[in-house]
Amino acid sequence: MLLEITVIVVRGIAIGSIFAMIAMSFNIVHGATGILNFAQGNMLVLGGFAAYFLANAAGLGWWLLMLPVAGILIAILVAFQGWVTLLPLRSSVEQDSWIISTVSVSVILGAAVLVTQGPFTYTVQGVVPSFRILGVRTPGAYALAIGCMLFWFFAMRIFLRKTFLGLAISALRQDFDAARAAGLPVRRLQIVAFAISGLMIGTAGFLVAPVISVSSDAGLRYVLNGFVAAVVGGIGSNLGTLIGGPLVGVVGMLTAYKIGGAYQDLASLLLLIAILMLRPQGLFGRSSARRV
Amino acid sequence: MAVSDTVAASDAGAPRKQRFSSDLPQVWIGMALIAVTGFLPSFLGNSYWVHTFQLVNIYIAAAIFQNFLFVDAGQKSFGQGVILGLGAYVTAIFFGLHDYSFAMAAAIGLGAAALGGLLFALPALRVQYFHLGFVTLSAAIVFPQLLMTLDRWTNGINGISVEMPELHHEIGLGLSPLTILVAVYPMLALWVHYFIRRSRLGRQMRVAAISPEGARSLGIKPGLMRFTAFVIAAIGTGICGILYLPTVAFVSPQGFNVELSFVFFFAVVVGGRGQMLGPIIGIWIVFILPNIALAGFVEYRLLIYGFLTLVTVILFPDGVVGTIERWRARRGVAGRGEQAFRVDAFLDRLKGDRVAEPSGNVAIEVRGGTKKFGEVIAVNEVDLTVREGEIHGLIGANGSGKTSLLNVLSGLSRLDSGSFVINGREATRLAADRIANMGVGRTFQTPRIYPQFSLWENLKVGMDARTGDTGSDMDALARALEQEFSEDSAELLSHGQRRLVEVMRTVLKEASIILFDEPAAGLSQSERANFSRLVRFLSRQMGKTVILVEHDLDLVWGIADTITVMEQGRIVASGNPEAVAEDPAVQHMFIGGRRA
Repeated sequence: MLLEITVIVVRGIAIGSIFAMIAMSFNIVHGATGILNFAQGNMLVLGGFAAYFLANAAGLGWWLLMLPVAGILIAILVAFQGWVTLLPLRSSVEQDSWIISTVSVSVILGAAVLVTQGPFTYTVQGVVPSFRILGVRTPGAYALAIGCMLFWFFAMRIFLRKTFLGLAISALRQDFDAARAAGLPVRRLQIVAFAISGLMIGTAGFLVAPVISVSSDAGLRYVLNGFVAAVVGGIGSNLGTLIGGPLVGVVGMLTAYKIGGAYQDLASLLLLIAILMLRPQGLFGRSSARRV
Repeated sequence: MAVSDTVAASDAGAPRKQRFSSDLPQVWIGMALIAVTGFLPSFLGNSYWVHTFQLVNIYIAAAIFQNFLFVDAGQKSFGQGVILGLGAYVTAIFFGLHDYSFAMAAAIGLGAAALGGLLFALPALRVQYFHLGFVTLSAAIVFPQLLMTLDRWTNGINGISVEMPELHHEIGLGLSPLTILVAVYPMLALWVHYFIRRSRLGRQMRVAAISPEGARSLGIKPGLMRFTAFVIAAIGTGICGILYLPTVAFVSPQGFNVELSFVFFFAVVVGGRGQMLGPIIGIWIVFILPNIALAGFVEYRLLIYGFLTLVTVILFPDGVVGTIERWRARRGVAGRGEQAFRVDAFLDRLKGDRVAEPSGNVAIEVRGGTKKFGEVIAVNEVDLTVREGEIHGLIGANGSGKTSLLNVLSGLSRLDSGSFVINGREATRLAADRIANMGVGRTFQTPRIYPQFSLWENLKVGMDARTGDTGSDMDALARALEQEFSEDSAELLSHGQRRLVEVMRTVLKEASIILFDEPAAGLSQSERANFSRLVRFLSRQMGKTVILVEHDLDLVWGIADTITVMEQGRIVASGNPEAVAEDPAVQHMFIGGRRA
């Protein structure tokens, strides 16, 4: 019994911290642009592929060297995607073409992986050895997932509050027009925000590659769970993701153990509908002043 | 009498206007295209194309409902494949596995599809925008998983085969009943879409999709509109699922994965969002191109969908049909300048003999109203009384709480403490649509003009919001406006004209209380003079109560019966214009003339 609870909680929190990182990478882009990147799950999986191709079964030194490389590669890719996504928003009256373009990028990435790598799930060897919690063998990547989540949480906190670049991006979140009037290069800052979200999710994918499903069709499932985590915590709140992510992870694990693994996504969907019906602004979301 | 003469004269003199909306011709072209592709292969006896276009026509119907949901209701659903799948699978289970009659099984299948639509629609009551995109996409991912796991009922991965030979028998000219059914259904779907769009419900849905605040101020509940749209689309798509069963004769989980939902969604985008022909052209491109023309590259199918859609969004956001339609519309555009929209002639019709004066009755009364945004107190312990039929000017510097108060009165935001009464009825906690239905109309700082609508439809949404019966002179006014403006675009109107359209909308709504939010901002000197006359007319000839939030003090002092001055959320002076002008609390506002 205790064993089972330990497994559910430990794995739930660890998997959940992956969702939390997706949610955090949503937040930085959403704050700066109002966009939620539907392709973010594919980017996580691409981080996993980076680990497979760059550092599978490599030594610790090489692995550590490849971590920033993977992060930067994904950051460049996401920044490019951001540039493309923001193109039609320049003049158009309609401001929601991003939903279509980020969904189509997600489909393109999934299909491209399918065509080039086949419909297989790739296994990545972990560098960090497994360890025991209350006698339960736990893969090292689980600890990395939680560590990575905490690292990015504090890194973003410092970045957004203490650095000039971070403050400028925070200003976008407050008011686009005012930021533009104050002379901030809005479009460039928005692309930087995309790049940071790519760096975040690329490093996350690299680190947790041994415990995620590195395959062509996994991206959508991760992005959806990440979105549920963001909504539970309140979109825009990084603190909320620290609660929302692990909560979604534990609910998923609980479902897998008690009902069956095939029902995990259903559980997330029901959780999403429940939170939207009961508390659409999430646990830490603020209800903002309405603009008329 | 003179008015209708001028209207008639201008009609005779002007060349016939190009149609504003091409929806109707597009429906006819669409019918022709579906008929040709649906029937011709049967006439020619080509069974491969017969079968292909049976499926294509079912998908076209599903895409038509996706188009309706996407544009008319503004909802991005990535889960319409689930609805189709529910219709098909549940029918298959009852017909194929449990030997129900097809009619009975189909009825149950339709019920299941409608229930699936309800699952999407419930969150739509509370939230909108990207949230529903994620909900529907989740459903599209979960659905095939459930079909696999619930194999006790669904046969799991083996799927369900059904045989319905009677639907495939030729009944003349090479046609089978099934071929006729699946060709007629998308035609029907086109007409359903067309008539919903032209109905009051359709207009209100579109207003709610474009501007939720604008909709609520017209008495529309946006959540209910989204809910209704999801349910209508679910029923329409569920029927597609029922038709899918005899056409394919087999259902399996792989047939209803997320890819199917993407096909419908992408087809609408590529074909042209909101265009009647869009789903037809879109399915042809998105479905036929990769599956048939490039059949050797089936594994590249998703890649092709994705690229086509991305390229469309970035280079031709209006899609194939939409780009052609834009070109057509632009060719026919001729600005009418000052003549594009004037109201004086029309208002003359409403001119009664009576001259209304502000009465002693209270129209609006606020008691101790306080509204906070976080730490900021926007409206602070405000007491305000507005008499019936008066023009009440509300002035003060930017940030003094005028618009916040207006938003409270129209129900768009709620008081934190205090209360207010409209026409003697407690309204503090009423939603905006309820307040609108009590006879309150408002305008916005940026006029809410809907470019998708013709100029007349822009006005008609006001009439749609009427709660009571109308007088005959109002009907006559509506007819004259319809005749004059039904084929005009509202997009080219100047700012001042847009403002007039919004005012006229509240007139047609027959609001008894009208709230103006900085109406004169951006108007020229002569437009301001016209606007003053219009407000005077509304109050004195039509007996309406007017609250006017405005910075142009000359304008306010020129027409207001009572003036209230706000400063930092509080009321610092209130009374008749002469008294307020003398009030020491407001003297500083007049430095350099009466302009704040």
